[in-house]
Amino acid sequence: MSRWTAALQLVGVGFFIGGSIVLGVVAGLWLDSRLNTSPALGIVGLFLGIVVAFYGVYRMLIPLMRNRKNGEQD
Amino acid sequence: MAKRRTLGMPRPLFIGILFLFVLLLIVGFLVGPMGRSIFGDLGLPWWLSLPHPEFKLPAETVFHLFGFPIANSIIGAWITMVVLICLSYIITRRMRIVPGRLQSAFELLLGWLYDLCRTVAGEENGRRFFPIVTTIFLFVAFNAWLSLIPGFGSIFVTSVEGEHVHLLRGANTDINMPLALALISFVFVEYFGLKSLGFCYLGKFLNVGQFFRSLGQVVKGRLRAGLGGLFTGFIHIFVGLLEALSEMVRIISFTFRLFGNMTAGEILLLIAAFLIPWVFALPFYSLELLVGFVQALIFGGLTLVFLTLAVAHHGEESS
Repeated sequence: MSRWTAALQLVGVGFFIGGSIVLGVVAGLWLDSRLNTSPALGIVGLFLGIVVAFYGVYRMLIPLMRNRKNGEQD
Repeated sequence: MAKRRTLGMPRPLFIGILFLFVLLLIVGFLVGPMGRSIFGDLGLPWWLSLPHPEFKLPAETVFHLFGFPIANSIIGAWITMVVLICLSYIITRRMRIVPGRLQSAFELLLGWLYDLCRTVAGEENGRRFFPIVTTIFLFVAFNAWLSLIPGFGSIFVTSVEGEHVHLLRGANTDINMPLALALISFVFVEYFGLKSLGFCYLGKFLNVGQFFRSLGQVVKGRLRAGLGGLFTGFIHIFVGLLEALSEMVRIISFTFRLFGNMTAGEILLLIAAFLIPWVFALPFYSLELLVGFVQALIFGGLTLVFLTLAVAHHGEESS
């Protein structure tokens, strides 16, 4: 993994968190207004968004951390 | 005795330009709303008064073509395309081994992007991804820079509805353009993933192998091993779902990053030029030049990184 890859992935992290939470909430609220289940699905969407955000960030960062560990061993 | 020179020009000329600059700054401060709120109305002539800045978030329709509304942002996008096509024609028309200024500038830029693709994606994949990444980069960067040209946003026309609208507008300040670019990037990522990994690529999102294996074990009577495996299988399915969702979220984050940065830059310049007219907006102009370049690099580079991740084999990508 080059330094460029690492830098670009880190740039993507912030907006990814925001995007996933916003997408979850908006989708949940839209389903709420369709199915008259307010506010249950909005909250579900929020939690799903947060889970996706954490998972995505984990996936983006784990190669970088592993890379660092290897670098220290070398 | 040689004349003293500062920044490549004779000293008196430099001092004159500096003086003019400071004068414009002071007069601009007095004329603008900031000066007026401090010193009150100085009785300035009418042609020095400023109109209030207006910024409309949705792009305005200029005219209709075959029933489609043509917004001012799409005209900006067309102009960007025309500029890019003409530039590449001019540059490649007479290629020389010892390049001229324009050719060497573009050789530097493209060479740098090519090296970036190769270091991130590897020799072979880098060559495959280079056209996509470079097209996105050049389009976003030239779009941002073109809308910085003075006068770009100050041409007004009367639209078919009889309103006064801007003729041109940076395409990336209209959310449809970043969305379209994000969708293009998304489609290419999925296409290359499917092309190089085949059906295995979908296994990342629909990870049911473990689940069915354990179900088979349960049916055969090996309960203890089967139930543990079933639980792991559920987690695999859930992770696959998350993987698919995060693919969708990329489109959103791509879209809003570009749209937000470009629109914020446009509004920043508008407000800076309104508060203290003329030279005060200059530092912000250079900032926007940098922002345009950085956003283009991020859009192209992240597409490149996602393409690289998509074509990597399952075990390979995490190592």
